[in-house]
Amino acid sequence: MYSKMMIDDLRQELDENKITGEGLFKEANKLAHKHQEKYNSFVTILDNYNFEGTSNTLITNIPYALKDNFSTKGILTTGSSNILKDYIPPYDATVYKKLKEAGAILVGKTVLDELAMGGTGTTGHTGLVRNPWDESRMIGGSSSGSAAAVALGIVPFAIGSDTGDSVRKPACYGGVVGFKPTYGRISRYGLFAFASSLDHVGVISRSVRDAAIVTDILKGCDENDMTSLPDEDIKYIDNINLSVKGKKLFYLKDICDINYYPNKTPELEDILNNFKKVINNCQKIGIEVYEEEINKNLLNAIYPVYNTISCAEATSNNSNLTGISFGVREDGGNINQVIFNSRTKGFSELIKRRFVIGSYVLQRENQEKLFLNACRVRRLIVEKFNSLFTKYDGFIMPTSDAIAPKFNEKTDKLSDQYLILGNHLIIGNFGGYPSITIPSGFVDKMPIGVCITSAVENDALILNMAHEIEETMTYRGMIVGEEDV
Amino acid sequence: MITKEALKKYANLLMFDMSDLEYQTLEEEFAIILKQMALIGKIEGIENVKPMHFPIINYQVLPRDDDKTFNLDVNDVLLNAKETSANQVKVPKVVE
Repeated sequence: MYSKMMIDDLRQELDENKITGEGLFKEANKLAHKHQEKYNSFVTILDNYNFEGTSNTLITNIPYALKDNFSTKGILTTGSSNILKDYIPPYDATVYKKLKEAGAILVGKTVLDELAMGGTGTTGHTGLVRNPWDESRMIGGSSSGSAAAVALGIVPFAIGSDTGDSVRKPACYGGVVGFKPTYGRISRYGLFAFASSLDHVGVISRSVRDAAIVTDILKGCDENDMTSLPDEDIKYIDNINLSVKGKKLFYLKDICDINYYPNKTPELEDILNNFKKVINNCQKIGIEVYEEEINKNLLNAIYPVYNTISCAEATSNNSNLTGISFGVREDGGNINQVIFNSRTKGFSELIKRRFVIGSYVLQRENQEKLFLNACRVRRLIVEKFNSLFTKYDGFIMPTSDAIAPKFNEKTDKLSDQYLILGNHLIIGNFGGYPSITIPSGFVDKMPIGVCITSAVENDALILNMAHEIEETMTYRGMIVGEEDV
Repeated sequence: MITKEALKKYANLLMFDMSDLEYQTLEEEFAIILKQMALIGKIEGIENVKPMHFPIINYQVLPRDDDKTFNLDVNDVLLNAKETSANQVKVPKVVE
């Protein structure tokens, strides 16, 4: 019965001594084991209740899951990669430390796409993660196990990381909430870096309210992360019910019009019709919604700019995985051969392909025309959205161009047709904007969502707007099997 | 166009290798990637735009004074070592 509950309900049960923290942990542990074979959410399931709280908070004794790219002292942390398959960190990530101090109970470390590079949930070294709504489909990634664990009701919330869409896309495919606050709002200390200028910590939950509760615990300046922001003197949870009347959102007119697409599909039509319903709901609660158009060349460049910057940064960030300082060490005749063999054997094909792209764009002859031009276009995209955010409180769009793909389906990420609708979440990472996806309905019995993105440091506002929009629908707290599809 | 040999060179610079089939796949993928990257060049007037390397310029956390001691526990560190000797991590010979 506890699997259906969100944080407030669980808090009440705990405070009224209807269940203990250990009892709640055991329920979550049992569910984690029950679902593991079929869905593969976890790299590591912890079997012992371990309370290290130092203060009473709303999440004290609440179970949660943590993506396996956050350092946890004494607990295996693999990044879902063979090269780190035996790595036991000697220190805690700030996120984990804060959750421990707040009394939250770690249930397990979740599977990700290897080293957080990927959006399918199929490249982790312990196997692919299945979508709880339809096991023949992907959950997406890279925070795959975190999204699946929340969608299955194993835990009320989980922590992920988001470099392009890695919290929001799997959350959408899993029918849950995915929130990525402003860049630096949550410390990245102890998070395995993928692309440092794009990496964000995010929260996956079954309600916007729960995302706000957890973010309140995690936010704050950290002397160990020079990009972390000073804490705001507010609690997001205290501002979540404010009126949103008169707030202004915009969406991209062409991209949300079915006639824009030469090869329209019934699935896409349903997604765009659902989006129109959400817009209608927004207007009913007093949010003004406007259409905007942005230069298509700029929007079409989003994915290649992301690909260029993220692969370049990843190449550099993962150069420490040598088998010498970090990673499984293979044999070799000399130190160079040891490194060469360790990296050849330790990385999967997909990761190597990304590194080669990074290597290519960083070659002297390509730096100016590819890498630096990508960074320039990033600035133009961000400046465009910054100027729009002076007129509007946020940007709303369908979270994805499609429902979760089947494992044997080719994704359309690189196709011209879906270059914008399939990749616009990246804008949130380019600008460090707070961005949140909430479930908004079903297409072919699979959950879909809408994503709201706002200006830097508008975390409280975006949670407030998302909460009020969530109230107009019936998907809050949804877990697999409990929905009215 | 990019050749398999060039891809192998880029991979080897990063200290790893791939199988022939993997290079084949990457070669095909690069055809799409290069087409996509050409879209970056379609944006006009970017010559004078300053490249953006971080989303927010934030000077809240400045480099700390050099007075902090942070020690890892030896046992925690040795947990990850493939070989140890006399309570230290044993690494491959650098000098032949």
